[in-house]
Amino acid sequence: MIQWNAELARRLRCREEEKRDLAPLIRRLMEFARAARAEGFQSLERALPEAEDPLLAAGLRLVMEGLAGEALEDILATYLLAEDRSGLPLLKACVVVEGLVALAEADEPALMARKLAAYLGAERSLPLLEELERDGVLPSSAPPAPAEAR
Amino acid sequence: MIAALARARGRDWEALKASRQKKDALFDLAARIALLAERSRQQGISVLAEAAEVERRKALRAGLELVAAGRDAEELDRVLDAESAEPDPGSALELRLVRAGLRGLVAGEHPYTLMRRMSAQLGLEYFDKAEAWILGRIKRRRPRAEDLVVPGELPDVVRDLALDPRFLERALRAAGREIAAASLAGCPRESMELAKPLYGRIGGIVIEDDAAFLRSRLSGDEIAQAQAAFLEIARGLEERGDLRFGGEESLEADPAFIVELTKAIMTLDAELLRSALRGLAPASLAAAMQGMEPKAHDRILAALPKKEAKRVLDAIDEAPPLSARAVVEAGSRLASLVLAAAEKHPAAGKSPLLRSALQRLERVASWPRSKS
Repeated sequence: MIQWNAELARRLRCREEEKRDLAPLIRRLMEFARAARAEGFQSLERALPEAEDPLLAAGLRLVMEGLAGEALEDILATYLLAEDRSGLPLLKACVVVEGLVALAEADEPALMARKLAAYLGAERSLPLLEELERDGVLPSSAPPAPAEAR
Repeated sequence: MIAALARARGRDWEALKASRQKKDALFDLAARIALLAERSRQQGISVLAEAAEVERRKALRAGLELVAAGRDAEELDRVLDAESAEPDPGSALELRLVRAGLRGLVAGEHPYTLMRRMSAQLGLEYFDKAEAWILGRIKRRRPRAEDLVVPGELPDVVRDLALDPRFLERALRAAGREIAAASLAGCPRESMELAKPLYGRIGGIVIEDDAAFLRSRLSGDEIAQAQAAFLEIARGLEERGDLRFGGEESLEADPAFIVELTKAIMTLDAELLRSALRGLAPASLAAAMQGMEPKAHDRILAALPKKEAKRVLDAIDEAPPLSARAVVEAGSRLASLVLAAAEKHPAAGKSPLLRSALQRLERVASWPRSKS
């Protein structure tokens, strides 16, 4: 069931052009997922010094500890609620939380990308997903091209 | 969408302003609740009833009484809601923290997770303080030695998956901490030792504690059920191609690697070999020796003082069979050490035999891990 509320929707509101800032963040989260899969979750330690957002740094540490699911989501959401964010900073923080939970759950890359791209809105999410496919971050969803007739 | 945010209503979004002093005091309260959770795991739930009797904070006292009486989270919420009428921000923050701790206690969460939950109420600036507190508790912890082995194939599966730790990690994480801990509760110590590093320092202790806690709570049948669920999840992952059961093949190191390392060891200058081995931990040497033929073992043992050779032999006896990748890593580390020692060695580069041995070691040191 989709859970939503008016207060959250109001707080998340931001200008369409501001949402462009989300794409690099989504790519970064996708890269964390790739690294965790290829080298194990403890390899995320290397990303910590570059995680300038304290929420991202804290979340990565919790994921490395093995926290996942509701406990991880609740803890990260509590940090958000304790900070009174709104607008683009809140939207970015929501992407971080959603991405970390997907990372901890070892979601398939395609599923994780779709969950995160949804924060861009319907219009912007599709181009981002196509871009991720083109860059090889996601496997291609296009059906294989038919063989050319000789 | 993040469910916890979607559930949040107007008042939940109010950042509760409290002084640093108040927050520090609340951090101490969180630590006290986490310690209580730790004691109740060790000594039983009666600890909570005893604590409630002497507790001065009304909400915490009421909550502890309910948890001690085995009441559920809903009832806990009802009682705590009654306490929350128009409190000042400091008291409201305290109530949120107490509620988070008590809910975790009802859910049987690990005390360190409770600490994470409660300290989150104080904001990100308390994240490191909470981690330092947890690490302090870990230092004081006594090692656990108990084993309860439920007959079954899980220990073999864990060992098998651990040949590529990423596979074991995927299976454990896909199973979730509860099933993982309940499954490991019925495994020998070796299984836990293979799983722990995959969760890092804090997470490793949490899974070990949870397994020990569940070992005393669950019946053999319940543990067997958890293990069956774990195996089903692991097999599901295997079908999806997300992991592979290692089998004997993965235990066999690359024969070309073994030949190269053996030849290098056999042709090395004895004095150089001795100086490279000096100070090397027996366990590291024993691991590297898994990638050599027996004649190279003899040469290494002959190069060591008798006492040291005995320690290495003991380490060989104690070491589990390593995965092909781990053997290559250990052999490569040894090769790098010998190469570093050779740089300071007067004979290096002079004899053609030694030159060829060093060339072999260079190849061994940079042996591709994927080859194994």
